Amino acid sequence: MKERVAITGIGVVSPAGLKKETFWANLKRGESFIDEITRFDTALYPSRIAGQVHELDHYSHLSSRLVKKIDVFSHMALVASEQALQDAKIDLTMVDKKRMGVFMGNAIGGWLFAETELRDMYIEGREGVSPYMASAWFPAAPQGQITIYYGFKGYSKTIVADKASSALALWYGAKNIIDGKNDYILAGGMEAPITPYALLSSNSCGQLSKNNLNPKTAYKPYDLYRDGFVLGEGSGIVNLEKEEHAKRRGINIYGYIKGIGFSSDGYHYSRYSPKSEMFEYAIEECLKDAGWSKKEIDYICLDGEATPMGDYLETKALKNVFGKGLKDISLSAPKSMYGNLLGAQTALDLIVTLFSMSNSLVLPTINYQMSDPYCDLDYTPNVAREKKISKALLLARGRGGINVVLAVEK
Amino acid sequence: MAIKEEVLSAIADILDVDAAKVTADKKLYDSIGVDSTEMVELCVSLGKRFGVKIATNEITKFSTPLEIMQVIEKKK
Repeated sequence: MKERVAITGIGVVSPAGLKKETFWANLKRGESFIDEITRFDTALYPSRIAGQVHELDHYSHLSSRLVKKIDVFSHMALVASEQALQDAKIDLTMVDKKRMGVFMGNAIGGWLFAETELRDMYIEGREGVSPYMASAWFPAAPQGQITIYYGFKGYSKTIVADKASSALALWYGAKNIIDGKNDYILAGGMEAPITPYALLSSNSCGQLSKNNLNPKTAYKPYDLYRDGFVLGEGSGIVNLEKEEHAKRRGINIYGYIKGIGFSSDGYHYSRYSPKSEMFEYAIEECLKDAGWSKKEIDYICLDGEATPMGDYLETKALKNVFGKGLKDISLSAPKSMYGNLLGAQTALDLIVTLFSMSNSLVLPTINYQMSDPYCDLDYTPNVAREKKISKALLLARGRGGINVVLAVEK
Repeated sequence: MAIKEEVLSAIADILDVDAAKVTADKKLYDSIGVDSTEMVELCVSLGKRFGVKIATNEITKFSTPLEIMQVIEKKK
């Protein structure tokens, strides 16, 4: 990318807080926000712990008339969007709504609404299904609801690419700004996998931690005894605009999206290639796109899948790309505190990284106790560290090897 | 409760809107901005409540609650 795209507004709905200030204040303490799922009976689920969003209604600005028509993943996205727009101080009465777009990432759709309606269909027949089902469940529903709510008419898109969804959405959004198609873009992602059916499906993928007796310490990326990631729900949405546009408005700029690298393993429908070369290729491509040398990187926000293979391959890729230079780069997976938000993971990684930049503080990878000889890097274990961060990479890997790396700078 | 009040109250309840805004002789679109999916919801839910079958083309968002009441009464 020749130009860079400014991030001027932040909205966050997460297990660690529903406002950016709370989110950051909670995370810098290095605590876990993972708990047992109590919303429904999970006794027979292999993994029954998660990072859950509490008190969404309390923070919501939506009417009950609208809430009953949408799934909770759209609800979370609408709350995060409102925060991002207010934070970016955009006066919606003064903008050309034909030049306002929405780019969202989501992996699984709105299952709470869908599974309830499917149950009603089998019990009551077709008339038992709510007509709102048609627009509530599918992954692009939040994009649609946001554009309808604010009357945005600009080019918009939803990307479905497993855990790399919001990384791609952020990049497509940034590219759209550079191409001059929109003046403002809300970009990010949302995910709501803590529902009976979505949790069951997520369990089937075999990547979730089953350490149900110890929810606070279950998500332990890079630890020798890691047994998978823990699900999280929420939404992270940022406002994007051109750098000079933001400067002209005199608005606070949190940071910039500077580049992207992506690749596919082309190996298996769900497993990563046992070689990490395509992941490495994505990192190299990102550096090239940003115009950065390896020595310039201060921080890498890790994918942190916490599966034996995922963490090993991520470590291997980093070693192969950066070699001895890794000792000067801080690494961490802050999502170990609030869970893996699947399609929304990079949106939250971005928000964490922007705060890390402005506060010169690298958040930790928590629950790291026992080192693994195959994952032997310094992952900033357990305690945050002070460090000035100007340039950072965000790593995201979707199942089967959808590799996306985003370059972000202060 | 007279059927008129019943219909007005049912519409407010089904769509989760303030009952005071549902006016008997005003088009639903004009009074409370009903959209097409809400109309389908209204047809199905009113049908269930009043024990009749209302097709989606029998009432529209441009119908008034009075007209809806007449459709229901005719079918009862």
